[in-house]
Amino acid sequence: MQEPVSGDTNMASPPLKTSAANPAANPRRMRRIIAEDPEWSLAIVPHLSELCLQHIISNFEKNPIVDRLLPEHQRKVLDRISTGLPLIVTANLISDEGYWKRCCTERWAVCDVSRYGGSWKRMFFERHLESILKYFIPNTTDPNQVLEVIPLCKEYVRKLEIDQFLPPVKLDQNKEEDDMSDSGSDVGVDELCMHHYDLGVLTAALSHLEELHLTYGVKDCGMNFEWSLFDFTYQDCCSLANAFKKCHALKVFKLCRSKVDDEKTRVLIRNLLDHPCLVELDLSHNLIRDRGARAIGKLINRSKLEILNLCNNRIRAPGAQAIAHALGKNSTLTSLNLRINCIEDEGGQAIGHALLTNATLTSIHLGGNELSEPTATLFSQVLAQNTALTSINLACNHIGLDGGKQLLEGMSDNKTVTEFDLRLAEVGQESEYLINQALKANQEIARLKTLCQPNSLEEKSPDLD
Amino acid sequence: MSRAALAEGEPEGPGEPRARRPSLNSEEQEERIAARRLRIAARLEAKRREALGEDPDAKKAEAEELSRSHKQIEESRQRLAKLLNDGTQLVTNIQVAADARETQRRAEEDELKRQRIEKLENESKTNQDKFEEITSKWGSAKEKTIPQDLWDVLNQQQQQCALLIEEKNKLISELQQELKSKDDQYVKDLKKQSDDINLLVERMEEQIRNLMKTYRRELTQIEKAFELERREQLSSNKKKWEQAMQAHNAQELENLITRMQKVEEYEKQLNQLRVQDAEEYTTIKIQLENDVQILEQQLQQMKAIYQLNQEKLEYNFQVLKKRDEENTIIKSQQKRKLNRLHDVLNALRMKLAKQIKQFQEENQTLTADYKRIVEQYKDLQRTMRHFAVVDAQKFLEVWLMNEEEAKGLMWKALEADRIIHTQQLGLPWVEPDYWFLDNVGPIVHRKAIRSASKLAQEVMALTESSQQEEEEGAVEEGRKEAGEEVKPPRHISVKSVKHILELLCDESGFLIESKLLGLLQPLERHERSLMRLDAIFAALDIDNEDDVYALVDFFLKFKAQQVGSSQGKEWAEEQVPEELAVDAADSDEGSAALQEEGTAHQSSAASPSSVLFHPDDVLKALKAFVLDFQKPRDKRPQLKKVLEERDDSKDSEYWEALAHVIPEPKLKVWDALEAALEKYYSVLSQRSKLLTDLDGLQQQNTELHMLLHQYLTSKVNEELLIPPTHVIELMPP
Repeated sequence: MQEPVSGDTNMASPPLKTSAANPAANPRRMRRIIAEDPEWSLAIVPHLSELCLQHIISNFEKNPIVDRLLPEHQRKVLDRISTGLPLIVTANLISDEGYWKRCCTERWAVCDVSRYGGSWKRMFFERHLESILKYFIPNTTDPNQVLEVIPLCKEYVRKLEIDQFLPPVKLDQNKEEDDMSDSGSDVGVDELCMHHYDLGVLTAALSHLEELHLTYGVKDCGMNFEWSLFDFTYQDCCSLANAFKKCHALKVFKLCRSKVDDEKTRVLIRNLLDHPCLVELDLSHNLIRDRGARAIGKLINRSKLEILNLCNNRIRAPGAQAIAHALGKNSTLTSLNLRINCIEDEGGQAIGHALLTNATLTSIHLGGNELSEPTATLFSQVLAQNTALTSINLACNHIGLDGGKQLLEGMSDNKTVTEFDLRLAEVGQESEYLINQALKANQEIARLKTLCQPNSLEEKSPDLD
Repeated sequence: MSRAALAEGEPEGPGEPRARRPSLNSEEQEERIAARRLRIAARLEAKRREALGEDPDAKKAEAEELSRSHKQIEESRQRLAKLLNDGTQLVTNIQVAADARETQRRAEEDELKRQRIEKLENESKTNQDKFEEITSKWGSAKEKTIPQDLWDVLNQQQQQCALLIEEKNKLISELQQELKSKDDQYVKDLKKQSDDINLLVERMEEQIRNLMKTYRRELTQIEKAFELERREQLSSNKKKWEQAMQAHNAQELENLITRMQKVEEYEKQLNQLRVQDAEEYTTIKIQLENDVQILEQQLQQMKAIYQLNQEKLEYNFQVLKKRDEENTIIKSQQKRKLNRLHDVLNALRMKLAKQIKQFQEENQTLTADYKRIVEQYKDLQRTMRHFAVVDAQKFLEVWLMNEEEAKGLMWKALEADRIIHTQQLGLPWVEPDYWFLDNVGPIVHRKAIRSASKLAQEVMALTESSQQEEEEGAVEEGRKEAGEEVKPPRHISVKSVKHILELLCDESGFLIESKLLGLLQPLERHERSLMRLDAIFAALDIDNEDDVYALVDFFLKFKAQQVGSSQGKEWAEEQVPEELAVDAADSDEGSAALQEEGTAHQSSAASPSSVLFHPDDVLKALKAFVLDFQKPRDKRPQLKKVLEERDDSKDSEYWEALAHVIPEPKLKVWDALEAALEKYYSVLSQRSKLLTDLDGLQQQNTELHMLLHQYLTSKVNEELLIPPTHVIELMPP
């Protein structure tokens, strides 16, 4: 008796589905199928529970019932309800990952759930909110569009990765016209009106927000390129800085390719001082100069910052000295990236001195900084003394042959550094080769150490049994 | 292999510390147990190590054994690491190259910028010079008056301006050129970047492909190595297993054979034992039968004894039964008696309870009565007190009223007396001074109770003064005064009081607070002793004269008792006053001379003072006194109340005196004066009568005069021929 029933449900569901797809569009066709189906018989009728479930599924929007169903029925309902249901119904009701996976895969081609902590629901809401914000045009788009989504997604959004902010559209057109007539006077006028979306309301509402990646710019602008499209205005900066005050859970903040200059850096840093849990700060590909660097140096010791990325900025020797000064007293920062700046030997030496005392920094990147031999001598000393550093990058500098030899000397005393990049640093093949040999030995030591730790753990666990 | 190594290595580890390993084949049981325990422990240890798969002892062997797979893994790992490293380097090389280009570009840009700025500055400077030259020429041009010259100059200026502008334009075009080239470069850079990115992607993909391929290869190789190793291990294990099985089988066979042999041997031994046992059995059986016969005989004997005993016991039983009967009778009797007595006891108890109840009730009623009576008594007292107060008040009021009246009369009399004296008699009047004049209110006959300290002070002062007086040849009056001042009860002399007080003062320092003692230090001796006495009295609760006298009296009695017990009574009585005097002098003066005298006395009187009242006895006496004194002290307030009754003996005298404020002789004078005044009055009245008569006559006279005059002055007279006036004139009046 069991078998025919299961077969029947299998048989019964496809016609129902088709009817749902095009309800009674061509009943004749249905009938024909029935007529030609040798196994079809009127005696076999779908179960009442099946019919009920079908009804629930078709009327889910008006009357969502999930929790009160038996687990097996729940499963069926969740597997079959449409992904196009309004979020107001589904957001807080459905926690089933399968449903959200369907939603995600249907909406986006590429879905890497590992980037969202393995949660499809989180991925859906984060990307949904991101897409809304990405295409939000101030003064044209209805701000309620964002406000409506906030209560639905505030429980699930941990990370926001927004790589474009659109400027107001109407003014854009005006500006183009202005540009035609007069290019000098409109800058001031535009400045006032080019502000982007204010994140303050959003960050205040999203209490679980931990990561914020922002890029103030426009993607795919093509031939409509204007510099003003990429303006990160002072007011934007202020509103962003104010937004920080409201999100206390923020751990990672990235603001790249947004033309952040000294003034804006200082405004941002002022609001980030003493932030309770900020761990990573990324201000790469901006226009930060020495004053901004000084402010960042202040931030290093007034927060729990562990990772700092300042690559491709305009920091020169004084700024590097300020950062080095902060580094000398710091005990939280583990990674510092100053790639493609111009800190030169003065800054490099200052950082070298700071590294003699610092014992927490494990990774430092000073590639493309016009460093030369004096810095190398100091770094050989650092290599000999410091035991915390594991990764150093001095690529694209003018260290020279003698500097390379000195670094080699320092490296011979070191047992912890596992990565040391000296490509295009003019250190000579011999010393580069020898340094690489030393690095390999160190890597071996590090590997054994990491192998030992899990092994010791494994040994302990049976002992306890 | 590993297990063999284990087996070999294992026993030596734990075996070493011990001198001798316990063996299983040992004779001693304990040692065997220990050996078994060790074996179990070792087995457990081996099992554990096997489970872990890693053993410090076996590690080396294992490493050798697993070397193939390990080597393979290590090789693969290294190969892969190298591949990965190289690949990453290959990929990141692009980035590094881009970085390097960027830095270089930046450096170049900086340089170019610097050059450009320099160039611009130079340009602007030279052009500024030129401009200034031109502007300076304008001045000279203005001076020109001839149009041709002016035109020339203007032309020149124009040319120069054109030149300047041209230069500027050139500069601008140069810069624009540069801009264009930069744009081109930017486009190139963009292209390069996209190329780079393409390259990067290509390399990444290639690397991923490579990596996948190599990973797969390495994996298969590692798997192969493991497989091989496993197969080898399997075959070796199988071989070992077969060997072990063979050995086991051989052992089993051997064991079987030895077992068979043993079974045969044991069977033989069993047969032998059976034969022996049968023989032993028969001999024992015979012996036991003999024993049975003897025991039966003994049983018969025992039965006879038993019968005898039974009869004896039966007799005893009968006797005891009878006794028991008697006892039951006695018991019932006793029981009856006991019941009766119980009844009596209960009745008595009831009675007692009733009695107690009755008495309690009586007691309650009595206490209630008592309470009521006490209440009534208290009420009565209260009313009595109230009436006493009211009476006293009334009495006082009546007294005051009467006195006021009497005094008014008396003062009237006295005033009359004064008037009589001053006005009538012309004598100076002396106001009589009587004690009752100042008295207001009822006479209170009170005996001032002096305070103890005051008394002490007086006593001390008195004795001093009296002594002085005595020394100087005492004046009687002074002494009297002193005597009046201090009136001790007759049997106590002032001196003895003083003596005792001094003794107290010296001996009872412990009653004084130490602070006070410190304060007293600077004072002179007399005052100090007074202060000390004050403190002592305060401590002893003595506050008036009587108490002091009681104290002194007690001391004297105490002394008398002591003396009576120790010496002859009469002798002591004789000696007391003298000795007291001497003692007083002695303590007061304290001088050497007097002391000598005192010692002389003492030697003559066999030093009775020390015997009489030794300072050591003061404390005992004081203690006894405090104990005794406490009792009468409680009764004191009541006594006082009773004593408050008024003494009215002097009242009549007072009123009498008031009545006789004018003495008898004065009354007689008054009588005489009255008689004389009477006479004087009669003369005066006569005289006054005469005076009134005279007045009447005089009036008549004047009237007559008036009439006469009237007549004389009337108009009728003029009409008359001879007016009477003439007549009158003629007739002198």
